[in-house]
Amino acid sequence: MNSIGGGLQHERTALAWERTAVSMMVAGVVLARYGAAEVHFSVGVFGIAETVAGGLLLFWAGRHDDELHSPATPAPAVPQVELTRLIGALTVLFCAVALIVAVALSFS
Amino acid sequence: MIRGTVSTATVGAVSRLLPPDPRRVGQEPDYRFTLANERTFLAWVRTSLALAAGGLGAVSLIPDFFGSHVLGILLLALSIATAATAYRRWALNEAAMRLGEPLPPSRLPQFMAAGTAVVGVVAAVLFVVETI
Repeated sequence: MNSIGGGLQHERTALAWERTAVSMMVAGVVLARYGAAEVHFSVGVFGIAETVAGGLLLFWAGRHDDELHSPATPAPAVPQVELTRLIGALTVLFCAVALIVAVALSFS
Repeated sequence: MIRGTVSTATVGAVSRLLPPDPRRVGQEPDYRFTLANERTFLAWVRTSLALAAGGLGAVSLIPDFFGSHVLGILLLALSIATAATAYRRWALNEAAMRLGEPLPPSRLPQFMAAGTAVVGVVAAVLFVVETI
């Protein structure tokens, strides 16, 4: 049942990936802005890395959407287990760094 | 002995948060359900990122507000809990769908609602205390 048939399920899913990518980019910019200015430049580097990761994810989401809609290509893998793991781990790491920044700001 | 107990507890915690690859069990379900599960996972990730950005904003943007750091840290703790359980929930749902079993119950929505309500009440109390 991994065929790409009718319906807009794929488009909604691709848009969900794109919204998540944009959220990652915005959160990365916020962390880079305040982390670098008020805690340490390495926090800024991590924020920029999160923003770049969001950009790459956005790029991938666009390509993935094209693959899903193209009749010339075989159906891509569903589900995206590795990417799901990666995004989950990256989000946990991001939140942990943000918490460290908040604690550092609280005691500074 | 203590080290062994700690390492066993750590392994247990990691295995609870990182269930095995759901593709190892059952049969592939209707792909629409898989995509819906993926969208739900992404919605939890976005919720977590929004809470983290809100927490950073509370600490950085309103430093003069009494208790802004408490609010920020509460929001960030909530964001970590949400992010840490999002993958687990996705993998368990995926495995259940592949095995044709009912979806496992989750306390994450209740936890999130209660946590957000607590943060809201704390913010209101701090605002009143500062105003008086």
